[in-house]
Amino acid sequence: MLFAQQRVTGTIRDSQGPIPGATVTEKNVPNNATGTNSDGKFTIVLRGKSNVLVIKSIGYRTQEIRVTGDVLSDTYLQSESKGLDEVVVQGFSNKTKITSTGSVSTISAEKIRNIPTSSVQNTLQGRLPGFTSQQRSGQPGKDASDFQIRGISSLNSNGNKPLIIVDDIEYTYEQLSQINVNEIESISLLKDAATTAIYGIKGANGVLVVQTRRGEVGKPTVNFRIEGGVQNPVKTPKFLNAYQTALLRNEALKNDGLQPDFTQADLDLFQNGSDPYGHPDVNWYDVVFKPASLQANTNIDISGGTPNVKYFISAGALTQNGSVRDFSGPQSEVNSNFFYHKYNFRTNLDLKATKTLDLRIDLTGRFGDINAPKANSGLLGEIYQYNRISPYAAPIINPNGSYSYNPKSIGADNLPTINSRLATQGYNRERSTDFNILVQGTQKLDFLTQGLSFNGKVAYASTTKLERGLQRFDDPPVYRYNPTTDTYAMRPGTPRYVLSPLSLIARPGSTYKSVTVQGILNYNRDFGNHNINGLAVFNQNTTSDLAILPANYRGYSFRVGYGYKRKYLIDFNSAYNGTDRFLKHYGYFPAVSAAWNISEENFIKDKAKFIDFIKLRASYGLVGSDVVDGNKYLYIQQYDQSSSYNFGVSPVKYSGFSEGTLGNPDVTWEKYKELNIGLESNFLKGKFALTVEYYRNIRDDQLINRNSVSAILGVGLPKDNLGSVLNQGVEGTFNYRPKIGNLLMDFGLVFTYNKNKVLFKDEPFPDYPYLLETGKPIGQPFGYTWIGYYKDQADIANSAKPLGTVPIQPGDLKYADLNNDGVINDKDKSAIGKPNFPPNLTLGLPINFTYKNFSVNILFQGQLGYSLILGSNAIEPFQTQLQDIHLQRWTPATAETAKFPRLSTLNNSVNSPSAFPSDFYLVDAKYIRLKTVELHYQLPSKWLPFGINKLNAYVSSYNLATWTNYSLYQQDPEVASGSQGDSYLNQRVINLGVQIGF
Amino acid sequence: MKRYIGKLLFFTVTALLVLNGCKRSYELEPLERLSDDYVWDTKDSLGTNAEKFLVNIYSNLPNGFNRVSNDYLDAATDDAVSSAVTLVPVTNVQLGGGYDIFDNFDGTWAANYKAIRAANTFLNNIEKVPVKGTIPTGVPLRKAWRAEARFLRAFFYFELVKRYAGVPLVGNSVKDITSEDVLIPRNTFSDCVEYIVGECDKAADSLRTDPVDDGNFGRITKGAALALKARVLLYAASPLYNHNGDVGLPGGAAAQKGLSGYTDYSKDRWKRASDAAKALVTYGRFSLEAKFKDAFIKQNSPEVILSRNGGAGSSIEVTNGPIGLGNPTGNGRTSPTQEFVDAFLTINGKPISEDPISIANPTGYDVNNPYLNRDKRFDASIFYNGKQWLNTQVQTFEGGVSKPGTGVQQTKTGYYLRKFMGDYETAGNYGSTYHNFNYFRYAEVLLNFAEAENEYLDAPSAEVYNTIVQIRKRAEIIQNSTPATTYGYGLKDNMTKDEMRTVIRNERRIELAFEEHHFWDIRRWLTAKQVLTGTLHGKKILRANSGLVSYETRDVQQVSFGNANRYLFPIPNSEMIRNGNLVQNPGW
Repeated sequence: MLFAQQRVTGTIRDSQGPIPGATVTEKNVPNNATGTNSDGKFTIVLRGKSNVLVIKSIGYRTQEIRVTGDVLSDTYLQSESKGLDEVVVQGFSNKTKITSTGSVSTISAEKIRNIPTSSVQNTLQGRLPGFTSQQRSGQPGKDASDFQIRGISSLNSNGNKPLIIVDDIEYTYEQLSQINVNEIESISLLKDAATTAIYGIKGANGVLVVQTRRGEVGKPTVNFRIEGGVQNPVKTPKFLNAYQTALLRNEALKNDGLQPDFTQADLDLFQNGSDPYGHPDVNWYDVVFKPASLQANTNIDISGGTPNVKYFISAGALTQNGSVRDFSGPQSEVNSNFFYHKYNFRTNLDLKATKTLDLRIDLTGRFGDINAPKANSGLLGEIYQYNRISPYAAPIINPNGSYSYNPKSIGADNLPTINSRLATQGYNRERSTDFNILVQGTQKLDFLTQGLSFNGKVAYASTTKLERGLQRFDDPPVYRYNPTTDTYAMRPGTPRYVLSPLSLIARPGSTYKSVTVQGILNYNRDFGNHNINGLAVFNQNTTSDLAILPANYRGYSFRVGYGYKRKYLIDFNSAYNGTDRFLKHYGYFPAVSAAWNISEENFIKDKAKFIDFIKLRASYGLVGSDVVDGNKYLYIQQYDQSSSYNFGVSPVKYSGFSEGTLGNPDVTWEKYKELNIGLESNFLKGKFALTVEYYRNIRDDQLINRNSVSAILGVGLPKDNLGSVLNQGVEGTFNYRPKIGNLLMDFGLVFTYNKNKVLFKDEPFPDYPYLLETGKPIGQPFGYTWIGYYKDQADIANSAKPLGTVPIQPGDLKYADLNNDGVINDKDKSAIGKPNFPPNLTLGLPINFTYKNFSVNILFQGQLGYSLILGSNAIEPFQTQLQDIHLQRWTPATAETAKFPRLSTLNNSVNSPSAFPSDFYLVDAKYIRLKTVELHYQLPSKWLPFGINKLNAYVSSYNLATWTNYSLYQQDPEVASGSQGDSYLNQRVINLGVQIGF
Repeated sequence: MKRYIGKLLFFTVTALLVLNGCKRSYELEPLERLSDDYVWDTKDSLGTNAEKFLVNIYSNLPNGFNRVSNDYLDAATDDAVSSAVTLVPVTNVQLGGGYDIFDNFDGTWAANYKAIRAANTFLNNIEKVPVKGTIPTGVPLRKAWRAEARFLRAFFYFELVKRYAGVPLVGNSVKDITSEDVLIPRNTFSDCVEYIVGECDKAADSLRTDPVDDGNFGRITKGAALALKARVLLYAASPLYNHNGDVGLPGGAAAQKGLSGYTDYSKDRWKRASDAAKALVTYGRFSLEAKFKDAFIKQNSPEVILSRNGGAGSSIEVTNGPIGLGNPTGNGRTSPTQEFVDAFLTINGKPISEDPISIANPTGYDVNNPYLNRDKRFDASIFYNGKQWLNTQVQTFEGGVSKPGTGVQQTKTGYYLRKFMGDYETAGNYGSTYHNFNYFRYAEVLLNFAEAENEYLDAPSAEVYNTIVQIRKRAEIIQNSTPATTYGYGLKDNMTKDEMRTVIRNERRIELAFEEHHFWDIRRWLTAKQVLTGTLHGKKILRANSGLVSYETRDVQQVSFGNANRYLFPIPNSEMIRNGNLVQNPGW
């Protein structure tokens, strides 16, 4: 028998160690609560009579403990894997792991908080099944990955973007990438009809749900985190030097029947480097880029609360520097380097206004500055282009300190060197300001009927962008130095001896605004063994941006669920919602889902105790997509302002009207029929866990261009609901968590296998069936089949070849003449390789070791089953700078071992990847990456002074190592196919951080 | 108190919800878009918006200057090569490619059908608009507009016919999206010619007469309708279409008969062509401009029948002018060939091979000074080494300012194209010049007449001779020939029909160069195979330190016309597979 005012101490742990920050509340005394410290310890004074403590922690099953003494023995919480009451995010409301019937995968933000990248979506690859992304660029502030949930299924290029919901409010891709991970509690993917149908017309591409952190009852805790890191490119391009390039240039010119550019004397000078001004040899990559750049990240958050007021307040600052060297000097003081500065804050407040009314007010702001040099934001692209610069184009700087130019540049005459323009031409800066506010009230309506509540919210989200630049529009004065006469020649054309003045540029960017109003009625009640729950949602959203037509959306969503003893569950989800994009505004999107918790059956409970949990579930339903390219009202035809024409001896411009694209009054949303079957299980008290899902989805009525109508019609055709695609896949996770003494380990496997097939795309039937795109995946590349090199003139005469190109010579790429007509033309193109995105298989191997206060987290991540082909500037000689691969060219002597066709200076030849895309250039890519490595040490709390109760030090890294399977290209495996492979290089980051808690 | 605030907040939220839910903050229709009713306004007697629709039809007329990926169409013939350092479409054509069933460097199938639809849309809707007013001839304005649209439609059809021969004639209706409506088979070549001629005839008398008033310069006039008719009939009478199957073109299947040309030869077609050209001469409203070069840069030249009013500027000079000269400096896009340069006559009106310089003939052709004593059109068409320009001399010798030899775009032949440019021989820099692309000018009509008449007759008549004389006179060719002849201007007496044909074709080549005639002429004459086989040449010009200049012929471009099916463009494969009723041209 215990008395009130009993003081109880204890430790809360899980199988891996103490749990800091768990909430301990006395049952039936809601305002008597405390939290555990960094060693998992707590002290509480009991005031009530229940003698029961309720222990809660995110990611763990809530546990009630009867207190029998003043010191509680260590209490082990069941981790997530066994946490059947763990909250599972569902549209507009939450369920628990055991009562959910849909397909959801969730990651706690705790796991990704230390990953040194500025965009949230870059951290999810390989961690969440069903999530696929590729990071196309590493530019500070613009490095967010493209991502998809369960692959792609729409022929509409914009029709595959997942819906992003942050605290129930729709966000844009860009807003998501700016969110500070420190503010996030968890990220969930909603993947099947059961979970997405409630989003109706917007749910077809899956939903990514972010929940931000909220205050917990307890003392204020302050978290301070400071990190600094070094970024360097994952892979830097290597180019041949001036001598090698000149040698190959002469060879190529000879192949083309042209005179050589360089004499033997020139070649000798390139080789011995004795004439650095007349015969320069410059590695422009090294001139422009530095090997490493820095980044820093600082965050602070304060959270805590009383039962009446709970708060989470955070602020952060991120600086990411660019990789360009500092060229500012006496001639120019502006910083033209790339950089990204981001500041953000969040205040999440929960107020208990009355016993039955909860209020919530969230305020968020983000301010970002992205800087890029005016000279060229695609700097690497310029270095890749032989027509712009070459190792022998110009010296870096003339002996008298002036800048030089490339007299042979093509496209821009006598182009001043990159360094001269970087130094003088200034910068362009994009400033974006995000401001969001959300106000919500939740009123319990138990007085009407038990278990009913109403939740209403209004949210306003806005992004305002401004571009500001300090720029010179004219090229700097540049001179050509002649070492023989020691004279300088002005660049021909426009003579200029001084820099033109800097101009200040300011122009508006976007002014995105989104207003959302939601009302939700929620009902959940148990009647003995029966549970009935229901949900009704009203949701209205208006978005607008500058002159783009505002989009209006309104929806009503419903859910009715029934559960028997938590064993048999069935849910009906539906949405009735509409958009003003279509003449018939509203559509109905139903879904049904059911689950069977096999482990709740007695035969498992009694006979198979090693099974903790097994659930089988299935769902089937319809979801929609209202994405319309160009934000147009497709259902009406309109007239456009068109080209003008001059009349009159003194010409007067008359403006014109033309007939716009025809209207399609029947236009409607895309319909996605989704079938999902899933199995979730845990064994041996969470030592093993396995989740597997299979889905088979068909997307009909896709809004695509009619492609079978003759051009004789003479007018643009509206999009029509014609396309159909089958999208299917298998995905899942497997975890094994062994323990050897104090060494805790967790090995995971996350796999995402996905494949799609176009069932219909209004394609006229081609002359040969292999030209048909129907039946192939979306984005299937077509091209020639490479069968070797033309050996000699006889071979050329006897083989099929293309007409009207640079005449074929021995050593040119030879392609299969699929239709045997003796000519290589478009009729010989067939499906080659695979689409670039999404890859068929995305794998993640998360590995965790914890030993006392040390922990190591590793993620290997890989993608297989996709193709990569790059454009001419990446690979075609003398479009691109010459690279090692060009040394392995075809010559009569090396015909047998050649890895690259004969060199030519003429573009668009049969060897060009852009004019003749073939499987010579299309590589079947795959890669494995050591995506993140994190070493973590938590100082024992007894060592900590000044009231600090937690101090973590960690080293984390991003993109530490990469293995690829191709040698043709030197680019990162995540660059976009068809691009020149010259976007800002993806970065490897090594980061050092300290986290302090008070 | 706290409870009270909470409730208040709750109701505020609810109220906001309800209010926002009901309020319509944006218009339901896209009001900023132009509707049908707005364009075809049934109350506007000025027809302001309807006229804008007509302007749109005009804007579909091709712009001939450097039209094909920055090159002249005629740089795909033996007259010039592109100076581009990359492989450009016109060069592809010279190599025997450039157009096949998939790609067409000049693929205007869809563009012309779009323009034809626009004309039909206009004709079908303009009656709704109560346009008042008349043109000076007394014809109601609305009727004149209709005639302009009809002419333009005929013009666009001819753009198709000269490429593909017989094409589907859409008729007057505006087609609907249902694909049955546009699965139209090709009409015969003959049908298409008659349709275009008929449309010109119907439009002619409702159009403005010539010369048109200053404000309407650039509009379709009666002269344009007569000129289009004359050109269409000239083409139709030409060997490519008007033959007995004995000219070496690929034979067609039964279904192809009549589509790619007439099924028989008829001499009377030449007569019809010559009559049509004569009608324009008789019309009497046009005459040759005094100076050849002014026909391209003067705003209201009496020679111009219809041109695209390009406004004033220096674009032609900058695109095609010699590199290294002017500010902005010329880009020297077009390199005329030696073949073209050699086609220019001597100032005596004779071919250079027949008119060597001598003491007795001081105005003859000098191999060592090849640009002296040439037809004045040469000086107005070609930049050659030593020609005065921008107050200096053009240097196309190796290493000269305009032929530096390094990687930049520059002449490949030693020549640049002077034609169409303003008078900048003595100017310090480029100024502003009117650049109108002439669709029809009087010199062409005269040459059309001379050609058709010569082909019709057994031997050239005085009328044929006199027509050529008119052209040569304007070209400032010396009238008195040695030995003296009846007509002078270098024209021999008693030429046979074949000799006269050679004279007329050469005259046409140098007079109408780069005006999008030669490309089609060598096709309709079936001479493309002959002139586009082998090598095109230029000059390698060397200057010794003494300043002495020497000339060497250099090979510039291997050319190949390819098979005879290439005389016509193929119907695009994409159209063939979409419209099962289409029949491909023979040999494709």
